[in-house]
Amino acid sequence: MDRGSIGILPRPTNLADESYLEFVTSFRKLAIQKGFPTLATVGEKALAQAVAAGEVSVKDGEEIPLDEIKKVFAKIPFVPTWQRFVRSQQEMMWRRTRESFMKDADGVMARMAAAEEAHPERISYDKDFVPPVYTRCEIHCQPGGYTDDPLGGLVYHYGTKIFYEGFNDQDELHVELAQKAAKPADGKLERILDIGCSIGQATTVLKDLYPDAQVHGLDIGLPLIRYAHMRAVERDKEVFFKQALAEESGYPDAHFDMVLSYILFHEVPVKKMKEILAEMYRVLRPGGTFAIYEFPSNDKGQVPASTRFMIDYDSKNNCEPYSPGFVASDFKGILEAAGFVVEPGPGLTNDFLQSVVATKPA
Amino acid sequence: MSKDLNQADLISGEVPADLGEEIGGKGRVYFENVVIDNLIDAMLELAGAAWAHHDRVLVLEKVLEKKGIAVTDEIEAHLPDGDELAARAAERDAYVERIFGSFLRRPTGDLPGRSDS
Repeated sequence: MDRGSIGILPRPTNLADESYLEFVTSFRKLAIQKGFPTLATVGEKALAQAVAAGEVSVKDGEEIPLDEIKKVFAKIPFVPTWQRFVRSQQEMMWRRTRESFMKDADGVMARMAAAEEAHPERISYDKDFVPPVYTRCEIHCQPGGYTDDPLGGLVYHYGTKIFYEGFNDQDELHVELAQKAAKPADGKLERILDIGCSIGQATTVLKDLYPDAQVHGLDIGLPLIRYAHMRAVERDKEVFFKQALAEESGYPDAHFDMVLSYILFHEVPVKKMKEILAEMYRVLRPGGTFAIYEFPSNDKGQVPASTRFMIDYDSKNNCEPYSPGFVASDFKGILEAAGFVVEPGPGLTNDFLQSVVATKPA
Repeated sequence: MSKDLNQADLISGEVPADLGEEIGGKGRVYFENVVIDNLIDAMLELAGAAWAHHDRVLVLEKVLEKKGIAVTDEIEAHLPDGDELAARAAERDAYVERIFGSFLRRPTGDLPGRSDS
């Protein structure tokens, strides 16, 4: 039975699934919006007491080592409770989301195939391509990750609806970040690239904002690209999607006026991040802008101990293997070493993320 | 992912019903006593199931109200036949397993998934 959609969001295939997943959303809100501040308050207090009592060794001018933070936090009863809450809701979210849309697997596969038949010129991939191992993690615990589940795009779409706790049901966050993405100073905007575009939420908004520009989305996940393409075709958006590695994009030199990336770099190893930045420098034209929204980085003690604890937990328990490396990296310095002129970008409602504008000198 | 990936299967192959090494397997352990992990999972599944049932009753009442039907007394008077009893028992068994399955998933705390954080 077709239960329609919620605006531009797919609806679970039956009421029981939808009700269960709405419960998970409410529980996630409790765990994240109220649970983490509780953990941070009791954790920072316990840490300060441990430092004052000389139980934690800190060198002058240096941040408290992560292992020391973990030792103190581990003694707080709420900490394993919060960890259990967050992991369990994540598992419940993916398990039931996939179970629900699995009931209409044939229908979803047919819709993606029909979109490709209607507009084959707007999607590019090689069936024989093998994504490298580093891209095939089950990021955020999503079953099959971004690369291995034929339904991965749809499962990602509804799963992240829950992740965003209802704040992005109609792509509101992607509208905000695309609107704020820095344009080139000379105003020339003929070609735009969204790297790590996932299911094309920001990509399609960029087309809405700049209808005269040619807009491209690139991602390593074929299931994501196929779903992004279907979604764009069904909504009559002329956007071009391509499966490729961001570090080997295959686009010509100086091809794009603007590049956007939203929370991509903490999902790749630092070595790959550097390769991607070199590639983006190559494909941007002189004067072109690279708008980046990302996890915090250049951690020199400005990231609170509780946030460092959370990022470490998230890395190990939410399948974010590369994020600690990114947070510790000198992202700004790496951007500058790649040739970019780096400036702070416009802030987002989600103030956890940093915003950077990297410009290729004219 | 442990299996090799053939991308052609993503387009024309059968969609696998079971997928996910993270949400499958033994999962993670956060408490010294794994029973606490299991109890919380059971509690969450129970709460999720209770909410889904509550939501369904709310929707049912709205649908019947739109049709001008009052059903409270009829529900109390309903006597199921054998087929209905069997179907309801199967559904109930699955419900119990969803709620209490975590105790079987992690029978001991000494598992490879034990978190160090």
